[in-house]
Amino acid sequence: MARLMDMGLDRLRSMILDMAGLSNNTVTTAIDAYEQGKDVRTTIFGWSEELRLLQDEVSELAVELIARYQPVASDLRFIKSCMEISYGFSRFGRYAHDIADVLGIFGDLSTCDKSMIHKAGDQAKTMVNLSIKAFTERNVELASKLNEMDDIVDNIYMDFVKKAAHNPGGDLKCTVSATLILRYLERIADHATYVGDSVLYIVSGERTARK
Amino acid sequence: MTVELQIETVKPANTQAFEAAGQGKTLGPFKMQTDKLNAWFGQNHVLKDLSIKFRENQVTAIIGPSGCGKSTLIRCLNRMHELVPGAKTTGNVLLDGVEIYSRRVDAVTVRRRVGMVFQKPNPFPTMSVYDNVAAGLKLNGVRNQEKLDQAVLNSLKRAALWDEVKNDLDKSGVSLSGGQQQRLCIARALAVEPEVILMDEPCSALDPIATAKIEELLTSLKEQYTVVIVTHNMQQAARVADFTAFLYLGQLIEYGETTNLFEKPEQELTERYLTGKFG
Repeated sequence: MARLMDMGLDRLRSMILDMAGLSNNTVTTAIDAYEQGKDVRTTIFGWSEELRLLQDEVSELAVELIARYQPVASDLRFIKSCMEISYGFSRFGRYAHDIADVLGIFGDLSTCDKSMIHKAGDQAKTMVNLSIKAFTERNVELASKLNEMDDIVDNIYMDFVKKAAHNPGGDLKCTVSATLILRYLERIADHATYVGDSVLYIVSGERTARK
Repeated sequence: MTVELQIETVKPANTQAFEAAGQGKTLGPFKMQTDKLNAWFGQNHVLKDLSIKFRENQVTAIIGPSGCGKSTLIRCLNRMHELVPGAKTTGNVLLDGVEIYSRRVDAVTVRRRVGMVFQKPNPFPTMSVYDNVAAGLKLNGVRNQEKLDQAVLNSLKRAALWDEVKNDLDKSGVSLSGGQQQRLCIARALAVEPEVILMDEPCSALDPIATAKIEELLTSLKEQYTVVIVTHNMQQAARVADFTAFLYLGQLIEYGETTNLFEKPEQELTERYLTGKFG
């Protein structure tokens, strides 16, 4: 028997899936454009704004469902997690926007070594994808895997920063721009991990300690 | 899978989880407990091997669908069940470790130590506010006027009713509003100085404001008493209870800290009941 609340929960789920598709596209486009030296600031800014507005809508619907139905157990966990996940997706948009902005700040970066960014970018894109898959399938295994993958991006970022600090020679523009991009990728990976944590919470009620 | 099949999956781990619950907190001992309690109305087997422990100075809520045995359980806790013709019980009910169904224990004494507040406010209709509160003491032989005055004052204060009725003590108890009548009944129960207070859906006939007053009262009462409340209102259980027990078809399905039970119930049956996916 369908409950009154089910309609609202379905709508919430559908909004999260809309955000998932858009945030995935935003992150991928921003990373690829950076590697190819393309200016996609206007597009990414528009998508990022859309994600922010969707996050507001998710929050409003979640609060309405809580006020109307006083959900408990798995319903409550799902609604709480949707609020957190929508925040994560809106952060994907914000960091993608920051990545796109780097080209605008630094101009032509075609001579810079982008191998580390390529590696971290691939990992971040995969993580965004997996976090969405984990949510869609309520897949606890995938959600747990994200934690390990996050370490890889963290390490790439930290290694790069340490190397830059100890060997200050080289092109300053390349070093600073790469540091910024890697930092944004590291944050994207963090939020993908948090989405995984929320999936774990929806399914089991267990909360994961943040690193 | 049917509900009846799922109930077979219930494990005694629930009780262990309850005992483990609240670890790290300073919790009192168990004030009351049942051990393999069975209750019947004639041929109708209402409670089935129900073992549950109630912590001292805590509010425990009993939830479950109609007919699951909630009211019968609390009526067994102060031997009111046996007053129904054809009713019987087996198993144990302990108050401070002493079997209350023992031949050496007087049922009236049990009912004084374990008071009851009912669903519908039921002040004695021909008595004043004062006499309603003093009635239990008078029945117990207290005649000293000063003692009675003090007990009435204390009980009405504890029931958060004193300020509203202090100038109307001679008025009839039934002249009060529904919420006040219920608090009057709570004061009446408190007057005989019980140790445990049982409440059988005490707010079901009250409006939200009167309900809020009773709920506030519950949280202050637990400082002095052990409270067990039966409620159909799950949000009420979530608001007032430290521990919550879910009963289904006369069996204890899940029991634990209220926050845990409402956020992440361990049993599928509890989850389905709480989220309204029953049937």
